[in-house]
Formats: sequence, structure tokens, C-alpha cells
Amino acid sequence: MQSRRTMLRSLALGTSLFPAIVSDLLASENPLAPKAPHFPGTAKRVIWITLSGGMSHVDSFDPKPKLGEFQRGGKTAEGNRKVLGSPWAARPHGQSGLEVTDLFPKIAECVDDLCIIRSLHGDHNDHFQATLGIHTGSVTFKRPSAGSWVCYGLGTENQNLPCYVVLAPEMPYAGSQVWSSDFLPGIYSGTRITSGPEPVPDLNRRAATPELQNLELGLLAQFNKKHEAKHPGDPMLDARIKSYETAFGMQSAMPKVLDLSKETAATLKLYGMEPGATTGFGWQCMVARRMMEQGVRFVELIDTGSSHNWDAHGDIKTHEPLARKIDQPIAGLLTDLKSRGLLKDTLVVFTTEFGRTPSPEGDIGRGHFNRAYSSWLAGGGVKGGMAYGKTDDFGLKIAENDVHVHDFHATILHTLGFDHTKLTYRHAGRDYRLTDVSGNVVKAVLA
Amino acid sequence: MRYVLVLCLFGPLVHAQMSEGVDYFEKNVRPLLAANCYPCHSAKSNPPMRGLLLDSPAGTQRVIVPRKPEESLLITAVRGTGSLKMPPGKPLDAAQVETLVTWVKLGAPDPRADSVAAAPLKPHWSFQPIRDPQPPHSVGNAIDAFLQSARAAHHLSEPRPASKLTLIRRATYDLTGLPPTPEEIDAFVKDSGPNAFAKVVDRLLASRAYGEKWGRHWLDVVRYADTAGDNADFPVPAMALYRNWVIDAFNRDIPYDRFLKLQLAGDLMPDPEVIPTSYISNSRRFGSRANEFHLTIDDTIDNLGKSMLGLTIACARCHDHKFDPIPTADYYALYGIFKSTAYPHPGTEIYPHTYGFAALNAADAARLKGFEDQLSGLDNRIEDMKAGKIKFASDAEKRKAEQDNQANLRRLSHEYPAIAKAYAVHDGKGANARIMVRGEPATLGAEVPRGFLQILGGQKLPASETGSGRRELADWIACKENPLTARVIVNRVWQWHFGQGIVATPDDFGARGDPPSHPELLDHLASRFMQDGWSLKKLHRRIMLTRAYQSATTYSEAEALKDAKDAYLWRFPPRRLEAEEVRDSILFLSGNLDPAPAAEQPFPPEMSWRYTQHTPFIGADKDYATRKRSIYLMQQRIRRQRFLELFDGADPNSETGVRALTTTALQALFTMNDAFVHEQADALAVRVGMSYGPDADRINAAYRLIYGRTATADEIKGDRAYLAKAREALGSAAMPDFQRTREAWASLMRVLLSSNEFLILE
Repeated sequence: MQSRRTMLRSLALGTSLFPAIVSDLLASENPLAPKAPHFPGTAKRVIWITLSGGMSHVDSFDPKPKLGEFQRGGKTAEGNRKVLGSPWAARPHGQSGLEVTDLFPKIAECVDDLCIIRSLHGDHNDHFQATLGIHTGSVTFKRPSAGSWVCYGLGTENQNLPCYVVLAPEMPYAGSQVWSSDFLPGIYSGTRITSGPEPVPDLNRRAATPELQNLELGLLAQFNKKHEAKHPGDPMLDARIKSYETAFGMQSAMPKVLDLSKETAATLKLYGMEPGATTGFGWQCMVARRMMEQGVRFVELIDTGSSHNWDAHGDIKTHEPLARKIDQPIAGLLTDLKSRGLLKDTLVVFTTEFGRTPSPEGDIGRGHFNRAYSSWLAGGGVKGGMAYGKTDDFGLKIAENDVHVHDFHATILHTLGFDHTKLTYRHAGRDYRLTDVSGNVVKAVLA
Repeated sequence: MRYVLVLCLFGPLVHAQMSEGVDYFEKNVRPLLAANCYPCHSAKSNPPMRGLLLDSPAGTQRVIVPRKPEESLLITAVRGTGSLKMPPGKPLDAAQVETLVTWVKLGAPDPRADSVAAAPLKPHWSFQPIRDPQPPHSVGNAIDAFLQSARAAHHLSEPRPASKLTLIRRATYDLTGLPPTPEEIDAFVKDSGPNAFAKVVDRLLASRAYGEKWGRHWLDVVRYADTAGDNADFPVPAMALYRNWVIDAFNRDIPYDRFLKLQLAGDLMPDPEVIPTSYISNSRRFGSRANEFHLTIDDTIDNLGKSMLGLTIACARCHDHKFDPIPTADYYALYGIFKSTAYPHPGTEIYPHTYGFAALNAADAARLKGFEDQLSGLDNRIEDMKAGKIKFASDAEKRKAEQDNQANLRRLSHEYPAIAKAYAVHDGKGANARIMVRGEPATLGAEVPRGFLQILGGQKLPASETGSGRRELADWIACKENPLTARVIVNRVWQWHFGQGIVATPDDFGARGDPPSHPELLDHLASRFMQDGWSLKKLHRRIMLTRAYQSATTYSEAEALKDAKDAYLWRFPPRRLEAEEVRDSILFLSGNLDPAPAAEQPFPPEMSWRYTQHTPFIGADKDYATRKRSIYLMQQRIRRQRFLELFDGADPNSETGVRALTTTALQALFTMNDAFVHEQADALAVRVGMSYGPDADRINAAYRLIYGRTATADEIKGDRAYLAKAREALGSAAMPDFQRTREAWASLMRVLLSSNEFLILE
């Protein structure tokens, strides 16, 4: 009797028509099997860094010296708007001479690898909705997260680790919806990994001894195989048998990828880590790199949660300690990825839900600002040392080359080899996609 | 042709590949139509021949039957096999014909915008009146006759009957979500009377567990959650009243039309019931202020369209529906009804106090309203002061006012009475809505009178109606003349029994949904259902007392090649237990299931709620742990209940008509390592060990409980050997012998509880 898989294989070989469909049919037996994108991408995997709370653009990657000048001169910007200068000076860096502020002095040293987008804008000015927006493209209704779309499109290289890993010490705005697969199959949901004794729920063996667990899994496989032999034609039975093999693999693969004991002192230092540390953003970045090496497709790092974050209403200087926490680790990550030859096909995304008002809130704080803000991309086939898009002299309005969140997503998918209009999933009578009904690839940032 | 074969065999998988189909249309079909057909059949031809427009999807649909080239006029015409031969004098070549055939087999995906209004020859099937078709033969069960004739037409063989064990297990899970006990199995197997199975079905339908299983199906459809979904995800303890009402409604077999009417307008009925209208209040909340309330109304309309009518009405919020005859005006006709409805306020970051709830006891209503008014008044005042909307003569005066507010808050919180209240809606003052152009609340267009969808009758409210119009809406939806309501629910019930509906897209009966595999059977069920007084229990009996329901899952490669989806039921489709069934069964088997219904979730007291977007309500699993049935587990909107999410439970944010099925390593880790599984396996080991002496009897007892069958001699031998090895594998650590025995048994129980024989229902 020909198995379904052999039959599909023979069909796959027999036709050059619709190869994507046939390869997807094969993939349907394991929805996480690696899949080819629409065209060869420049990036194979993604590290997505989210700063929770809304990082100020005018204090970081889109410096505006006029704000300080006007404030000192007691002058107002258009609309009789008071403005607030940045506490951080700006200066050019690297060969590109890109100007960024001293808020992130270490990341500043990497500007030649960064493609800074200074004209990003989103659809909502509240944390919850904007956080969903930057992750899913929708500020209102629940939709699959970008990481879920990428895993749906590409599958993953290492079946013993989740496809989409989330390293978030705190719950972000909108909770686990941020990494939810929503209507995509649940297998594409982010798996949140925490540092500590059990990084993934139920990862640790609970059976008294390894021998006992081996015995149990052996007997289970025996039962299931006998059952399967009596029940042909149901791929789910085989999938369940394999899922135990994967789970067993994960029990050893996960601790291994989280075991930093073999990392050298120099590498730890690069990430700003103390030896033996198992928390902190350096740890998150280091784990992200190790996951990339092990074939994980998408790792998201969230620095803080829904409180004590970048939401600097009262005092913009609260950005300082938050920046210090992540500056060295991110610079270290970029350097390390580069020296290991991984940066060229790993896309690093650095983003936040919105920017902050160029005008003061109170005396020294800043409010939410979704009309223009900054993010950057690095590696994975985007140009380094460039800034794309411009805001006006005060960071209030986009002056040229606006990039909507949908465009940002379209561009990210493009680097991975997807036509964002074609990475779709049929749900409730409609073909849905990450970019809803819009989005243009920002070609100028592609190397 | 090979790729066509692939597509036919694996229909469900291809479904996700519609975009490939669209590509296929753009690359191959559109140019072909343009070159060969548009000259006489397009908006530009003057006049279009026979009024047929092939440059519009609606026009093209007149001459094709998706997936059925043999029945498509377009195909017979280009093949020239009938009287009509097209294009006249210039027949297409074989490859071109094949291109069109392939496209029709793909379901004729057509991405073109319908710029041209072309009246279809016949309305879409689901908008046509429900008929009462004659079964193909009059002998025996009508449902079986419809199924049998469809199988014969597709050259499929008849399924074999299931064993009695399989049958009682299937029926018990289907109706109660729990396994049958060994005693129930024995009684059924021994009962050789002709009504043995009917008796089982009646017993199960009469059990309380029936409502807990079928109520959960309804909660999937109405995206039930215990929290509001705003930025701070405020708890809504009163949703438990609705949940329990649904369970009870199924158990009491409230006629389905009344069941719907109560949820839409129970407060406006002659014998008012307010709790069911929590269906409307359960719509998702957005943000912290009232300025996004149109999204909540949109969520109401979206859900009522999908759940009750099988229509994606919400697509018409910003533009006329692209595929179904639902203009934007229809959306705002409904919108006006819900805009004229006062939804209760569950509390938000900025206005943390609840108001607009309905006191369950009328005598409490005035007192509740008094407190709600004062507290929400304070919320408003505090917010207005923060926003600088209230002016004070001096800072001291302002400080004094702030202190007064806080003192009043403290006093009211302290005095706040424990009044039983429902998360129910009230009728507001009736007012029509204006169209929001492109869905933008700021861009208002024409006013639309409140009313119903044009395609379903287009009724308008009578001039005398001064309220919202929900009562009329309830009548328009839950009526025999509505062609969708009965069809949609019988299709859902069919799907919840057979794993797939007669219409495979239960929430979309529109043009983009799948056509019914058995249109006549669907109408037969719908018309009988209405004749039976919209009784769901009678519908269960009708369905379950068929040969189809009682057939075996036996697989056949030959049949699978003809019908891979098993759309024609050449076998009964096996299924994995649902999330709730997995957890409830394990608790039931270990003896730890608390069968009593639950009341409200143990949320913190209402007057303590100060949730914000920065510190939202997040219920820790341990605080909401329960040994009651899983329908009672607390389910938040912004954070899924871990176990339910892991095993593909319903999405608490959007209508779940079909639960996706996944098999993941994380599920395997759960059964291998989760404390719940280990605790219950231990309890089951103790249960089996305490009741029986010899190991063989214990093993047999475990098999009877978990699988419903006795263990074979080989299995007993193998398991005994396993127990011995497990004792050794527990290691050399000092351990009392009874402990070692107990742990070895618990290990065996874990294997049985993780096995496919337990988790896959035949």
C-alpha cells in the first residue's frame, strides 16, 4: 500500500505545475517543516526586539537639535506648541556619519550596520492597541502576530525547538495576544521562554528517574504503533507519535541552548553579562543568538512589560536606565552575530509601539506619539549606515518617505522572501494577511 | 492532469491555497476570457450577448458551478458537447478548455472587482427558501437515504456498523464530553432490544452533563469570556450567569428560536429574562474611553452575523460586501439597533466603576442604580478634573474638591451593597444611525432606517417603535421564513456530531463559503427541525439514530482516493478529544471531578478594581484552579487559559465555528510532565489498586475505565512486565515497597492516559 507521503512525493516529482501546493501538502504532515518562500529571501531568520511603552524618537535615533534651541530661546513650534529639548546630545557616528543621540552610546557605534527608519507611523496612540498594531498589523481586532506569519510561511529548521520563541520577562500590553497565532493554527503561536528552572511549562521531566521516563515513552510508542497499525489512514496518529519524540528532544535541546557555560568570558562581556547570569537583557540577547544558531526561525525579545517601561510621561530621563539595560547587550548581539557570519542572513528588528511627543508633558515628560517615530533594521539583506524617511525639524511631522506599520511589515516579509500580498490564510470567508489590504515594500532599504 | 488529481484528493488542504488559485486565474484564466469571450460578453460589448457579462465575477458565476465543471454551462459550452457551442465558430483548443476546467475545479476563485451589477440568474443557494425535499427512497431513515444516494452518485461504498462499545463511547463523549462508565457500557452491550441505543441517547440527553458539553459549543460560537477585553481587561463576574443560563437552556431544550430571541431581546419579551442578553454585552470592549464604542457594536454585528446567520456582515462596515449581497446600508440598519441599546459598562482604567447592570431582583433595581449613578458620576468628575474641564477659583479649592472625591469614593465603596446583577443590556432611545463612510466614525453619510438585511427580507421597524428595535430583530432572525437561521444551526449540530458540517464553513454560508455537500439533506434537517418546534434534543435523536451516526471508522484506501475529506461519510470520522474532554475525562477517571456547577469566578471584590493598561487584570492560574468541569475554567480575553489554548480550545476573542486541530510537542510535554497529569494518574492508580487485588484484575479495571474495553492476555502480560521494570527504573533510593508499587502503577496510568487509543475517539 502506497503511503500518503510517497504518493505525494511521486506527484511532486511528476509535475512542475503548482510546486508550492505540493510542497505545502508535504508540509501539511508536519506544519513546521521548512518551506520555501515565494522567492529567495535575504534573511532566513529574525530577531525582533520590542521596547515596551513607547521609546522617544527625538531622544534616540531621530535627533532634533531645534527642540533644544527653541526651548532655550523660549520659542514655540508651529501651532504655538511648546517643545522640549532632548537631554541627550547627538553626534555623527561610524563611516556613514549617521547622527544618533548618546542615549544608546554602544548601539551608536554600530550605526554602519543599522538601517534607521525615521518615518514610521501607526494607527493608534494607546499602548494596548499600538502594541497589537506593531505586532499584528491591526490595532483593533485580534490577528496573528508577525512571528506567527513568518513561521506559517517558512516553517522551522530545528524540530526540537519551537519555531517562534518569545523572551519576555514581563507581560507586555495586550498580554499573550502579542505573540498569538490567532486564526493561524496554534502551532505557529510564540512559545514564551522564561529564565529559571523551567523555561517552558512542563519542560522538566517529572517522572522520578530518566530511566522511568524512557520506559514510559517506550511503552507509549509501542501502544501507539500497535493502535496505528489497526487504524490506517489517519496522519494525526503518526503526528502524535512524532510529537513525543520532539518533546523528548526538546527536553534536552532546550536546556542545551539555554546553557551558557561554554560561552567565553569575552563573549559574556560583549553582551554586558556577568558570568552565571540567567536574567537580564544580555541573557535574552545571548539566548536569541544561540537560538538562531540552532535553527529557531523567529525570536522576539521584549525588554520590559506593561509598567515601569518607556512610557515617560513624567520625566523623559527615565529613558536613561532603561537604555543602559539594553544598550550593551544589543550592540554585543549585533557584533557577535556579525563575527559569526550570522548577521548577513539574520534580520534584526528594533521597534516600539510609538514615539513620544516633541512637546513636553508636564515640564520634562513626553506623551504618546504615533504620527512619526523611529525603528531600525539590521542584517538580513538591508542596507547598513542609512536613514530612511525624514521628519520635520521638530520630529512632529513626517517630511518625506513615510513608512506605515504595514509597509514596515511588508518590507520585513520581503527580506524573508515573501510577497506580503500572497502570504495569506483563509479565515471566515476572507484571505487574511499580515498587511491587511495595504503595505508597500520599502525597496530603498534593501541592499 | 496530475495536479488536478492532487487538488481533488486533498480539498481541505487546498482550501488554504486559494491564493494560488487566484494566481492561476490571473495567469491563465483572465487572459483567456479576455481574448476569447469579452468581445461579446463584457460591459464594453454593446449590448452584451444574452446579457451575460464574463468580465464580472457575478456574471461569470451565472455560468459556473464551483468545483463542478460537468455542471458548469461555461464548460459544456466551450467543450461544445451540448447544444450551446462557444465561442461561435472559433472553438477553444483542448489545453484552453482544460485551463477552464482546472479553474472551475479549484472552486473558480475570482479576484476581479465587481464593477458591473449583474443580477444572478438565481439567488445564492443559502438565500433560497428552505424546502422539504423528498428523500431519494421512502424506505428506512430519510437521513440515511440522502447520504446513501450521494455515496452511490460518487461511487462510494456504504460504511460498516460500529461496534456497540465504539458506539456508546462515541455517543457519551458527543453528548456529555465524558467517557461512559464500565457499568453503562455493560448495560448497553447486554441490552439486545431494538431500542437499546435510543435509550442510551435519551439517558445522555437527560443528564446534566449534556448542557455542559453542548453549552460549551455555543460558548465557542459566541466567543464567551470572563473578562471585558478593554485595555485593562476588567473582570466580568456576571458572565457566569450567562454561561450557566446557556447550560441550563440546553438541558431544558428551550426551542432554538426562543433561545436566540432571549439572547437578543430577552429584556423586551412578555416574560422578561435579562441574563441571556449578556450575549450582547459580551461583545469585546476596546480602549478605556467611550470613543471606540463603535468597535464594540461592530463586534456584536460580526458575531450575530456569523453565529446566527452564517454571514460575514461586518465586511460591510466600510464598503459593500465584496461577495455577498450585503450593502453598507444594511450594516448601518443593524448598527442603529445596537447603537440604540445601552450596553452595561464593565469598568475601564479611566472609568473603573461598573454601571448599567440589571438587578436580578426588581426590588434592588433602584438601589443599584443609585450607587451606579453616584460612582460613575464620581469617575466622570475625577476625569473631568484631571482634564481641566472643571475650573476652580483657587488651588486650595481644587485640592478640597479632590479630597471630597476621594472621601466619597471611600464611603461609597464601603457602603456598596452586594446586589445580584446581570451583565445585561437595556433599551435606549431608538435612533437611526448614519453610514460611516469607509468605516470612519468621523465621516458620516446618509442616515439609514433601522432594519434587517435586504437579502433576508429588508424589514424596517414600524413607525410606532420608539425603542432600539431588538425585539423586531430577534423576530426577523429567529423565524421560519429566514432561510439561514435553521440551516446554520442544524449544520452546526451536524458538524459537532460528525466533525464536519454539510457546509464545511459553518460561519459562512455566503458566496465565499463552501457549498453544501448534501443540499437536500441540509434542507430536510432544517425543515424537520422547525417542524419539531426548534428542539435541539429531537434533532440529536434524528441524527444519532441513523446508520450514518452508528457506522464504523474503518478506513479504506480506495474510498479515500475518491473522497479524501470523507465528505460523503463512507466512514465515521474519528476525532481527537477536545481540550475540555481531555481534562474532564482525566478528572472523571481519577475520581476527582467535582460534577457540581460553578457560580461566579473568584475574582477580587469589585470595589477593589483599579486595573490599568499598565497593570491589567491578570488572573493567576492558581487562584482560579478548580476541579469542576472545564466549561467553568476562568477564561480571560487578553491571556488564554494555558491548558485550553494548548489543546486548541476556543478563541475567547472571535467566533470559533471550527476548532483547529494541532498536534504539538508542547501537548506531549503536558501529558509527560504536567503536575495535573501526574496527580490524576496517581489518583487513578490508587483507585484501581484499592478496588482490585491481583495485578491482572487491576490492569483490566484500568483498561475498562480508560478504554472502555477489557485488556487482552498479551496486554496483561506486557503490562505486568512493565510494572516490574518500572519498579526497577524508580532507582535504588530507599522507598517503602507500597510506594514503589504505587509509583509504578501511576507510571502505567500515565502511559494509558497519553495513548492514542484514549485520546482519539472512534
